Amino acid sequence: MSNAPSSYVELHAHSAFSFLDGASLPEELAATAARLGYEAIALTDHDGIWGSMEHAQACRGLGVRPITGTELTVAAPGFPLPSEPYRGNCPPGCFHLTLLVETPSGYRNLCRLLTIAHAHTRGWTDRDELGEPAAPSARRHDLIHPALPFSELQRHSEGLVCLSGCAGDGALAGRVRRGDHRGAERIGRRLLAIFGPDHLRVELQRPLWHGDRSRNRRLVELARILGVPAIATGNVHYHDRRRAPLQDALLAARMLGTLESTEPHRRGNGACFLAPAERMAERFSEHPDAVIETGRLAQRLRFDLNRDLGYRYPGSEDPDADRDLLAACRARFGERYDGTPERAEAERRLEEELRVIAGLGLSGFFLLHRDLLELAREVAVEVRGASAARALLPPGRGRGSSVSSVVCYLTGLSHVDPVKAGLFLGRFLNEEITEAPDIDLDFPRDVREVLIPRIGERYGAERAALVAAFPTYRSRGAVRDLGSALGLPQGEIERVARSVDVYGSGELERELAEAIGERRARSERWLALVGLAHESRGLPRHASQHPGGMVLSTSPLIDLCPTVPAAMEGRRIVQWDKDSCADAGFLKIDLLGLGMLSAVERTVDEVARARGEQIDLSRIPLDDPEVYAAIKRAETTGVFQIESRAQMQMLPRSLPENIEDLTVQVALVRPGPIQGGAVHPYLERKRRLREDPDYAVPYEHPSLEPILSDTLGAIVFQDQVIQVAMALAGFSAGEAEGLRRAMSRKRSAEALDAYRERFVTGAIANGVELEVAERVYDQVKGFAGFGFPKSHAAAFGLLAYQSTWLRVHYGPEFLCALLNEQPMGFYPPDALAHEAQRRGITVLGPHVNRSDVFCLTEPQGDRGGLAVRTGLGYVAGLARADAEAVMAERRERGPYVDLADLAARSGASRDGLERLAWANACSGLSGRLPDANSDPTAGSRRADLWSLGIARGARHFGSSEQLALPLPLPEAPELAPQTPWERVTSDYAATGLSLAMHPLALMRPELDPATASSADLVRIADGAPITIAGMTVARQRPATANGVVFMLLEDEWGMTNVVILPPVYERHRLLIRTAGFVSVVGRLERREGVVNVLAEHLVELERPDLPLAEVRQIEPAAERETGGRIADLGAVLPAAHSFGRRGR
Amino acid sequence: MNAPPPSGFALYRPRAVAVGAREGTPITVGDRRLRVEAIREEWLIEDRWWTREVLRRHYFELVLEGGRCLTVFHDLAGGGWFEQRAF
Repeated sequence: MSNAPSSYVELHAHSAFSFLDGASLPEELAATAARLGYEAIALTDHDGIWGSMEHAQACRGLGVRPITGTELTVAAPGFPLPSEPYRGNCPPGCFHLTLLVETPSGYRNLCRLLTIAHAHTRGWTDRDELGEPAAPSARRHDLIHPALPFSELQRHSEGLVCLSGCAGDGALAGRVRRGDHRGAERIGRRLLAIFGPDHLRVELQRPLWHGDRSRNRRLVELARILGVPAIATGNVHYHDRRRAPLQDALLAARMLGTLESTEPHRRGNGACFLAPAERMAERFSEHPDAVIETGRLAQRLRFDLNRDLGYRYPGSEDPDADRDLLAACRARFGERYDGTPERAEAERRLEEELRVIAGLGLSGFFLLHRDLLELAREVAVEVRGASAARALLPPGRGRGSSVSSVVCYLTGLSHVDPVKAGLFLGRFLNEEITEAPDIDLDFPRDVREVLIPRIGERYGAERAALVAAFPTYRSRGAVRDLGSALGLPQGEIERVARSVDVYGSGELERELAEAIGERRARSERWLALVGLAHESRGLPRHASQHPGGMVLSTSPLIDLCPTVPAAMEGRRIVQWDKDSCADAGFLKIDLLGLGMLSAVERTVDEVARARGEQIDLSRIPLDDPEVYAAIKRAETTGVFQIESRAQMQMLPRSLPENIEDLTVQVALVRPGPIQGGAVHPYLERKRRLREDPDYAVPYEHPSLEPILSDTLGAIVFQDQVIQVAMALAGFSAGEAEGLRRAMSRKRSAEALDAYRERFVTGAIANGVELEVAERVYDQVKGFAGFGFPKSHAAAFGLLAYQSTWLRVHYGPEFLCALLNEQPMGFYPPDALAHEAQRRGITVLGPHVNRSDVFCLTEPQGDRGGLAVRTGLGYVAGLARADAEAVMAERRERGPYVDLADLAARSGASRDGLERLAWANACSGLSGRLPDANSDPTAGSRRADLWSLGIARGARHFGSSEQLALPLPLPEAPELAPQTPWERVTSDYAATGLSLAMHPLALMRPELDPATASSADLVRIADGAPITIAGMTVARQRPATANGVVFMLLEDEWGMTNVVILPPVYERHRLLIRTAGFVSVVGRLERREGVVNVLAEHLVELERPDLPLAEVRQIEPAAERETGGRIADLGAVLPAAHSFGRRGR
Repeated sequence: MNAPPPSGFALYRPRAVAVGAREGTPITVGDRRLRVEAIREEWLIEDRWWTREVLRRHYFELVLEGGRCLTVFHDLAGGGWFEQRAF
């Protein structure tokens, strides 16, 4: 043969970014290409370049030339675009083309083509702009298959090379395969007219299917007729042959079928791996010229995303930007700093920052941010309405490193004075930065929801878009998707998916045996699942939107990266995630919705409504002793950040006394400082300083003292890593920032090792001893997990303080806000309500004559007290329209006198009324008082339901409901009262809250008399044996705790923290993962004011009685909600914080 | 891209056949060692890897000396060559 085998270059390869049609990551393909000696490799994922930047980055590091491309779905001439979701390979009427980028203008065209191909993919998109009608039949949020109208190819063909497509569905090969030779020639001629002979190649593939040879002979003949070369490609779907089964299973998952049912659509063999060039030359031995052509064409494809993107910051073209920014800062400077001791330092910092910003050409970028904030202000006024209380609040607040900038402070981007707070600028801005600094802004959720589409409108859909996010396979999702593909029973799949450890890596096999039994776990299909789940780990499954990251551009964004409509109406996303956007150097802003910010605003609003007091949170004292007293006692349930189990364990030891301590506190309980070994030194030194103010804090090296003095010699903040690297190892600001970035990336181990040598050598050159250099580097490396920059911690620390302040002084309003902002925070609503009750706050159930949709406070007693009234929104399954109808009528014409009145006037559906009655929200309206004569809080739900049945008439009468008439109702007969257990169970089922009594109080008489309560813990000695029982509120197994599991148990007096060491966990794994009520035998541990129970043995508690079977006849439809019988308390218990997620 | 593998034809039950092969490619077929004149098609089926009956077959559509066409496969999972005629 004349060709050198090495001349083959792979020009058609899919990664997992073809979403369930590719089984390797781009870096796996790049690494294999490098190992096989490929000079270049193209990535051609379906209808997107989602993985192209990762591909380019991975290739660059390995000396392989990345080629950017896509395999595009095109609607054939005369065929309409798909109007339905389509899960197969290529929708009817469409074909595939392989497009490769040759020049920068070709890249722009590719981005435009991909943007157009996705324009119709969501039901909400308005196609008028692009001249096509919206897809009519699809539901609004389904993802319709992308496809390009053929007519668009002509306009955007320049700079692109077109290969004629794959063996199965390619523009030419697909027709040849079906015997439509004339059709193939016709399409071929049209493509030739569009791309020209230099930019069209007839694509030959050898997937080792029946018909390969005859098809390729036909295609070579067609190439001769068209006068263009044929070219060989591999249609690679995975880097290694061993991924072939995963490819099969992913495809079955995409088609929502099984491996059996999707057989006709699967590839049929394991041939589409990235093969050595010689193997490919052998496969195409009949067509050696087509192999040589790959190398020849690849020589021309020189566009490199790493180099040729040509992005410029928005605002960089404005010649007056430097002057305008200076003016903007000066306008606020006097107001902020005149007469303060920081004035001179602020002046110096401002000049320095403006100089750096101008030097980087970023003045326009800062002005743009100011404009954004102005927009946010407008939106905030609109969203908050006339409420004077909330109008005092800024629309959003900076977090992250931008808080360290004086310019950001003066332009309103941040609300922390960086000079006063001593924040370090380097991480945010330095002269060597190669990418735009990040600016993160936190907004209350409601403001953010309106702001995001508004930014899209302001800057235009072509210039603003959200950043993409790629949910990746973890074991839970993998078990579900791949288990279904393998045709395993859904019941078993669910059991396994729920009981396997999401992050536990090597334990799937064992957990499997526990969940479904040894024998089942050894069956071929389950074994296959274990293998597939491992292989799929970390592969992207689909694209979605990042919660709030946006990119902005002055030149149309769609020349830089394709944009696609998001599922949420009015939002568009770019095809790159935040890492790829950062690699591209895109300017991005994070608009984050922060539940606590919303809760704080709601509290301020509610205080104004209930007490007529205006709170300006920016002016509250930051040294309120009551607040710090509560924090030191860890009475922080519900407040920002310092409410978690881990934080509460630390507060009585760290004893924060001021806002600086809180700043350290929020940053301390993070994987970075924990793994870097910062926690214990910090706590210990703080204790010694308290005992002896002359105690000298030890530092690893004198050069570290100024950097680490705030944190007593420990590395707690991310920016300290940068400063340490600069001071100790002589890193430049840019190098140190590179180190920080390497630490924050997804797969960073190798990158981090490269920095080690540089660090140690640099430190030794600075006269640091080798041992010290290595020890400090290990602390730095330990930090790699995750940590806050100090500026971020300062912003969060402030919010932690403010929320604690509200909790201390306005408890009922704060609880209302938390209940209304769910889901948020660490605790479920039930636990928040119980904790508030223990503090003496009255929490009342929902009531049709008292409740709003949201929870509100209401006057209690005659001394100005406030109680919390649960909103109708808490009634499970109640339609919002029903809740609103009930309220509207009540406001209009007064409270409901009785059930007949309610049924006749409220306009709520029968289902809604039943749910209200079952939630005890109609209590007192049936004329019958509570079931249990002795207990006035017991409610009358049975009588209410009975009466409603009469009042509301027949369920259905013909096609409509019978009208309810306000006739006097007969009195309900004597119905058996609900037992206390039935009440708790139905309270949980109906509202998710048990306000009248705690289940543990009911269990207490049945428990072993030796069982202690959480209130007894203070009296029990350290090391004493103890038995304690409770309801599970949280289960955690932190990655940083070496397999130790923590359980938070709640009883009628409070919470108990249970520590479970690995051997005990192994014995009781299933119980710990699933039980709602447990009894723990163990030993009490008391350390510096913190009490834990070290578990030795656990037992699941059963409820003491069983309900009367006949009672269920009148239980309402709430069963539908819970999917189980109401009598089953386990099914209705509030969701615990279970291993990192809320769920049972 | 993914596409339906060959369809529209069915196969008889396979029958063992003697095949002389070089590097996996048939040279002669049958007890009479008929020479392979040409390979018209060649394909690979790898399937049912999740069951006990794993399928891994390398198929060849051959033209033998004398002009007869024959489809044979090499069973890569269990070993051996088989003849399998299409109808």
